[in-house]
Amino acid sequence: MSEANATALQPKKKKNPSSGSYKRKKALVAYSFILPNFLGFLILTFVPIVFSVALSFCQWDSSNPIQFVGLENFVYMFTKDSSFTISLLNTLYYTVVTVPITLILSLLLAILMNCKIKGRVIFRSILFFPYVASLVAIAAVWMALFNPTMGPVNEILRAIGIANPPKWAASTTWAMPTIIGLTVWKGIGYYMVVYLAALQGVPGELYEAAKIDGANSVKRFFNVTWPTVTPTTFFVLMMLIVSTFKSYDIMFITTQGGPGEATKVLAYHIYNSAFVSYRYGYASALSVILLIIVIIVTLIQFRVEKRFTSYL
Amino acid sequence: MKFKKAVALGLSATMGLGMLAGCGSDGKTESTAAPTALQPSTVDTAEEVTLKVSLWDYSKTQYYKTMIDGFMKKYPNVKVEVTEFDADNYEDVVTTQLSGKSDLDVVFMKGLPGLSALIEQGHVLALDDLLAADETWDAKAYSGLVEATQVDGKTYCVPFRKDNNLIFYNKRIFDEAGVKYPEDGMTMEEYYELAKQVTSGEGSNKVYGHFTHTWSSNVYMYARRIKEFNQMDTSTYDALKPYYEVMVKMQDEGVAMDFGTAKASSAHYRDVFQHEQAAMIQIGTWQINNLLEEEKLTTEDKITFDWGVCALPNDKGEGNTTAVGGVTPVAVGAYGKNPQWAWKFVQYVCGEEGAKVLAATGIVPGYNSPAVLDIFDGFAKDYEHCPEGLSKYLDLEEYVVEQPMVKNGKAASKAFDDQHSAIMTGSVGIDEGIELLKSKVQEQLDVK
Repeated sequence: MSEANATALQPKKKKNPSSGSYKRKKALVAYSFILPNFLGFLILTFVPIVFSVALSFCQWDSSNPIQFVGLENFVYMFTKDSSFTISLLNTLYYTVVTVPITLILSLLLAILMNCKIKGRVIFRSILFFPYVASLVAIAAVWMALFNPTMGPVNEILRAIGIANPPKWAASTTWAMPTIIGLTVWKGIGYYMVVYLAALQGVPGELYEAAKIDGANSVKRFFNVTWPTVTPTTFFVLMMLIVSTFKSYDIMFITTQGGPGEATKVLAYHIYNSAFVSYRYGYASALSVILLIIVIIVTLIQFRVEKRFTSYL
Repeated sequence: MKFKKAVALGLSATMGLGMLAGCGSDGKTESTAAPTALQPSTVDTAEEVTLKVSLWDYSKTQYYKTMIDGFMKKYPNVKVEVTEFDADNYEDVVTTQLSGKSDLDVVFMKGLPGLSALIEQGHVLALDDLLAADETWDAKAYSGLVEATQVDGKTYCVPFRKDNNLIFYNKRIFDEAGVKYPEDGMTMEEYYELAKQVTSGEGSNKVYGHFTHTWSSNVYMYARRIKEFNQMDTSTYDALKPYYEVMVKMQDEGVAMDFGTAKASSAHYRDVFQHEQAAMIQIGTWQINNLLEEEKLTTEDKITFDWGVCALPNDKGEGNTTAVGGVTPVAVGAYGKNPQWAWKFVQYVCGEEGAKVLAATGIVPGYNSPAVLDIFDGFAKDYEHCPEGLSKYLDLEEYVVEQPMVKNGKAASKAFDDQHSAIMTGSVGIDEGIELLKSKVQEQLDVK
């Protein structure tokens, strides 16, 4: 009797978690979850990138057969293309100025929005608004504001006594600053929100301890706030650098790379070569160079981040 | 882990190698797929045919419909199917479509640089054999433009429209200032003096003597008309110096709107002239159609002033001896299914019948004939503000093509426009600017 009971009460044979078939089945389930996204990535991102890299060694105008030309595109780029040097320098100028200004302003704004001031929710929304607004609409208004003869900005400058205010987007000296201004103004909302989230993760006790030790607000910023948000700073820095390097839509809408080639950035030069001059091979070569630059900058950043980030 | 890495690397390597293998053979092979020629043959008028035609602004333009209806009435077995593309990106879209071997039978292009890209990429057919076999074909009716638009001695298009660039002036502003009207054969200095005399007002009441539209042609057209300048030949660029000097002088002195402001506010010559903000503009003869339309408006935008035209001034004082302007070409698609009927369509719209429809709206057809010229002279009777004798500026033996078709023409033209904006905004001196123009344009022309 007891043996029969014993057999009846024997638990069901459990699957052995370390057996090969079990692992494989679990793996298959996992892969099937990521398959749709992976397929999309493969077809729409990975394959075009590989095609682009291969095309950079070829010459193609999108109709005649693709011709393999080896390193000719790269040789031309570094020896004969004056626009390449100019656009690279413009991109560096644009990045080196936009990134720090956006970073610092968005951090300061986030600190401000973190304080308990009346109506800060409304202010946060107002500051975030430019980021979501249409670039085309904002660019049109910005250009109207900075119109050299009829715009309000120059009217104000003339009223306060500056006889010859800058011609903004109509001058090779001031066109890039005008675009930088637009980029900064449009972007700080987003990065302010990112920093706000980070700031709200700073433990309040640290500030109290600092206050007790007699630190004023500046000292508190440099010794408590800044070190605590370094991971976010690196994230913001990386996002900013990548996005400014890729930037082209702002130049396209406002100045079309002009006047002269003052606002022609590398991404604009790529667009021009591909879709205006029908030189897809050369445009691919340019984008490979852009890719390499961005990868190098990002790798440097990762290295630096390891050394300077402190995690709580 | 190792296995996954190997798979990833293998995948990338295979794709990359596959791409390279798919490229053409080693060394330089003939890159242009020479477009095939259209052979003459008779058309079967009993055969049901659908012709695919690409156009821009088809829904906004009455004359296309009138012409197409006329063609379909003449050949009832043919149905014309129009594919309309957005006007702003029309040329890029059509080129992309044809890259995908789209079976468009008839392709209209906005201008010659766009057509030159199609020819280079083999998307349109050569028409010479057909023209030779056709007894009704008269190349002389096209003011030398058929020859001027040939590439490598082959004809790829027929001029559907042509334009002559003229000075359009507002007679009322001149009358009020007590200044005599501009006339043919002025020098640039005389033109500048005249413009200065009719400049008046400040701020919102400002009336400019001259309005320079932001296109680079608004400076080089004067030199182009007397063949001192060829945009695709940088050795002729020094001829532009006096013209840039006058244009920059006019804007510095407030006689013309400065380039930066015009660009920033997207000022357009049509609006400026219509609202009497400028006494004179330099623009193509399509403005005639604009002005005729504006006279018939019923809103407050209706024009109430008499206007006139005269030939472009230049530093030689040359009068109305040559015309200069763009050509709107129409070509036969290389992958269409009905090339013979496509040619019949092209013949119709570019021939006498199509020309009369165009002329009736004030647009200058590529085809010239006494009937067409009469229509233009007739406008003075039906339109109060239109001047008499318009045909004088259309019936010229030589039409200089604004932008000749050469390889890399589009890229060169873009490089030219870039440096033009630098000169006109005063960011660079005129001499330095012209040197930059030469080097930048030559760089593009030299690309293999």
